[in-house]
Amino acid sequence: MTRRELILVAPGALLAQTPQQTQPPLPKNADEELAAARETQRRNAEQLAKVDLPMATEPAVHFKA
Amino acid sequence: MAAISDDIFFAGITEINRGLKQKQFSNVELIRDFTQRMEQLGPRYNALALLLPQRAIKAAKDVDGDIKRERFRSPLQGVPFGAKDLLSVEKEPTAWGARPYTGQVFDYPATVIKKLDKAAAILTSKLAMVELAGGPTYRYASASVTGPGLNPWDRTRWSGGSSSGSGIAVAAGLVTFALGSETSGSILTPSAFCGVTGLRPTYGLVSRYGAMALSWTLDKIGPMCRSAEDCAIVLQAIAGSDANDPGSAGKSFYNAPQYTRDINTIRVGFAPVDFDDWAEPAARPDFAKALEVIRSMGVQVTEAKLPDFPYGALVSTIIAAEASSVFEPLIASGKVDQLADPKQIAGLKAGLEMPAKDYLKAMRIRTLVQQALRELLAGVDILIAPTRPGPAPKITQPLDRPVSDRPPPKDRGLSALIQAGNLAGLPALSLPCGFADGMPIAIQLAGRPFSENVLLKIGREFQTRTDFHKRRPPA
Repeated sequence: MTRRELILVAPGALLAQTPQQTQPPLPKNADEELAAARETQRRNAEQLAKVDLPMATEPAVHFKA
Repeated sequence: MAAISDDIFFAGITEINRGLKQKQFSNVELIRDFTQRMEQLGPRYNALALLLPQRAIKAAKDVDGDIKRERFRSPLQGVPFGAKDLLSVEKEPTAWGARPYTGQVFDYPATVIKKLDKAAAILTSKLAMVELAGGPTYRYASASVTGPGLNPWDRTRWSGGSSSGSGIAVAAGLVTFALGSETSGSILTPSAFCGVTGLRPTYGLVSRYGAMALSWTLDKIGPMCRSAEDCAIVLQAIAGSDANDPGSAGKSFYNAPQYTRDINTIRVGFAPVDFDDWAEPAARPDFAKALEVIRSMGVQVTEAKLPDFPYGALVSTIIAAEASSVFEPLIASGKVDQLADPKQIAGLKAGLEMPAKDYLKAMRIRTLVQQALRELLAGVDILIAPTRPGPAPKITQPLDRPVSDRPPPKDRGLSALIQAGNLAGLPALSLPCGFADGMPIAIQLAGRPFSENVLLKIGREFQTRTDFHKRRPPA
């Protein structure tokens, strides 16, 4: 499986799949897994923070076309 | 009556329904053969969650009685199907693919099960799935109480998830159609990897009442079938308003290909980089041929690309926040540690710690995504891209680790169409379009909300010009 595939396989896998980043080793235990999950969330938040968001934009809660 | 040919296991809905009406075989004979096949082969692929032979035979007897009296109830009458084990069937176990929920029983059916019962389709089995439909994320194909979904085309490869059993069961001729669910890719991915035709309906078109919730604002239920035509038949039966589902759009679907626009007025957008560079090298020749088939239909083809948003981070944030809220009792009880996948366990726990501002930011950006996709789809009717860039990975491959050093292209094209389409609630159709390394590959069509008839028109036309949807995995 390539990076390209991985970007689409599992949502949480998305963040690790940029070419500039080296892959951290697989977590060895539950504590490391939790730390990795928190780090993923932190990086997600970082990416979202880069989006220019007009103040008046409300959360998407209507999905009825 | 004559013995039922093995071909029937790979027949479409219309053919089976016709065979019943013409009394080529009885429904009891048909269902008995299908349930025996599922019992024999389902475990071979880790596709089976629960066999329902008594329920199925009882329903088949009713269908035989109806047919004898010439009471033809629907095109699905007597047709065997399987349901992803995230859908409740009254008084039967519904484990959601997860050890902590083994033995869970609901006393009411999911709306989609009820609708298919009314159409006299025959539920033969509940089908395996990735635990909790994948939760926030997972690392291994083995993230299921039933083990990894093994691909009927090569059992060393993954079926895709999270609707693993649904993809396998249709591909291996264990049911005629199946129900799957998608939060972000869970219908399209196993459909592509297993070589079946899968439809992700518009958000809200199909009721989710009685289905496990993973992400309230992303979850959809849809059909996985042998053809676009079969998807249309099933969608008509399961779509519709449901007061029990707060996300219900209050709309129905009518399978009306005769009323859709002329094919030469349909505008199709694609990104060359998806086919030339994002696609795996082994898959490129058949993806290119698929694009040529689309062009040969006479549609208007133009180039398109997705607006620039962090789709992966958006989907990941929204699912993590909503899934962790849904499963807060599981996490609080400590039973979350009984899940099979360590990454999913950690993802659920971490999701509970997510600041509200991050979730709200993701949902506010999602509003911009919806607006941007609406604008993109004002210029084209359909977006087309490889469903997945290549064939199914090996089951041992960690899903969050690369196996290739090939750098991704700088141009994003439509490569994030699965995430973008799910964020915007758009319908999508995955069509088998060839093979790479002996494994099926597929293209996806995505369109405006409630444009299923347009997608299905293109899908039907594609499948009159190709036969990949009729191919069978090795016996």
